[in-house]
Amino acid sequence: MSKIMHLSLFLAVISALAGGALSFANQVTAPVIAENNARLERDSLMTMYPDAAEDDFKEIKFNMDSKTVQKVYEYEDKLIFNMKVPGYKDGTTFLVSINTNDKTVDQYYPLSNGDTKGLGSKVMESDFINNVNGKASDDSIDTISGATISSSGVVNGINEASTYVDQLKGE
Amino acid sequence: MNRFENFKNGLIKENPVFSLFLGICSTLAITTSVDNAIGMGLAVICVLVLSNCIISLIRNITPDEIHIPVYIVVIATLVKIIQMVIEAYAPSLNTSLGVFIPLIVVNCIILGRAEAFACDHNVLDSALDGIGMGLGYFIAVFVMSFIREVLSTGGFQITNMFNPDQIFLKLTIIPEDFTISMFSSPVGAFLTFAVLAAFVSWYKDRQAKKEEAAAKEGK
Repeated sequence: MSKIMHLSLFLAVISALAGGALSFANQVTAPVIAENNARLERDSLMTMYPDAAEDDFKEIKFNMDSKTVQKVYEYEDKLIFNMKVPGYKDGTTFLVSINTNDKTVDQYYPLSNGDTKGLGSKVMESDFINNVNGKASDDSIDTISGATISSSGVVNGINEASTYVDQLKGE
Repeated sequence: MNRFENFKNGLIKENPVFSLFLGICSTLAITTSVDNAIGMGLAVICVLVLSNCIISLIRNITPDEIHIPVYIVVIATLVKIIQMVIEAYAPSLNTSLGVFIPLIVVNCIILGRAEAFACDHNVLDSALDGIGMGLGYFIAVFVMSFIREVLSTGGFQITNMFNPDQIFLKLTIIPEDFTISMFSSPVGAFLTFAVLAAFVSWYKDRQAKKEEAAAKEGK
């Protein structure tokens, strides 16, 4: 009995130490990682609209209950959504800007995709990007055969974003 | 001398990748570019040295019955810390290596060295063993990625992993018309690996024969 106590106690102490070390490392690195991601997002916004100044993108408070919308920016007459949609494995994160007047997709800009390389990752490629850009978000955007789950995740995400446009437009 | 032998062992004679055939999965997957290989090699060296040191430090108080779970907790913690550091300070490396950084946890080299060496040697020897084996892995992935990148793209480049805009070295060796793009695909990984493993095995064979001959003459 004392043996088993000793064993479990030892393992518990080791795990506790490991947990402590991890939370310390997380504390140190988390702000840097967050800053990296913010910078990546800002850089992507600038790539989408090279003529804009960095302050032109106004972040809008988003209070609606949505798991996929991460952030919303306003730029001229467009709303830019930062979306994280589920896919086959890790899903896709992307920016999509939607014209508030006619609800067409102005630009779709993929940030990262954690699905199968060569299949799901096609949502990052220019064929799919060109297929999405300029379409009205309520008519059916073509998904990619062979990467149905990843691409319909993205398409559903865009459709969801466009449903929020009217509610956010006035604000 | 003995210490030095220990250290040298990992480089060729007991090279973890080409002689012991450990950790092949990551080796095949990440050697598409020299940059990846350098980053991965450094991460493995860090984890291996630290895990060897810690495991050797606690070798006398670790109960035998649970030594494997203890080692795994130690290794997993180290890998997670390294992953967070890479994500924070070398984000581009993090994107290109992706899932293979967390997979260092299950890299057999690390658990293998903990089991085979660090658990009954002192801290200094274990650290040296970690450096030697880590360098062995580093050299293996570096050579493989060099061959693959040069054959598939015609040249190679080494970038500063903390600042992707800064390129240390960029060389083109083969003109574009003569590159073999197959070498960037998994097939190329297997071919390169096989040729290098055969070479190392031939070299070891020759060394052994030489030693045998020397021993006979000595008689």
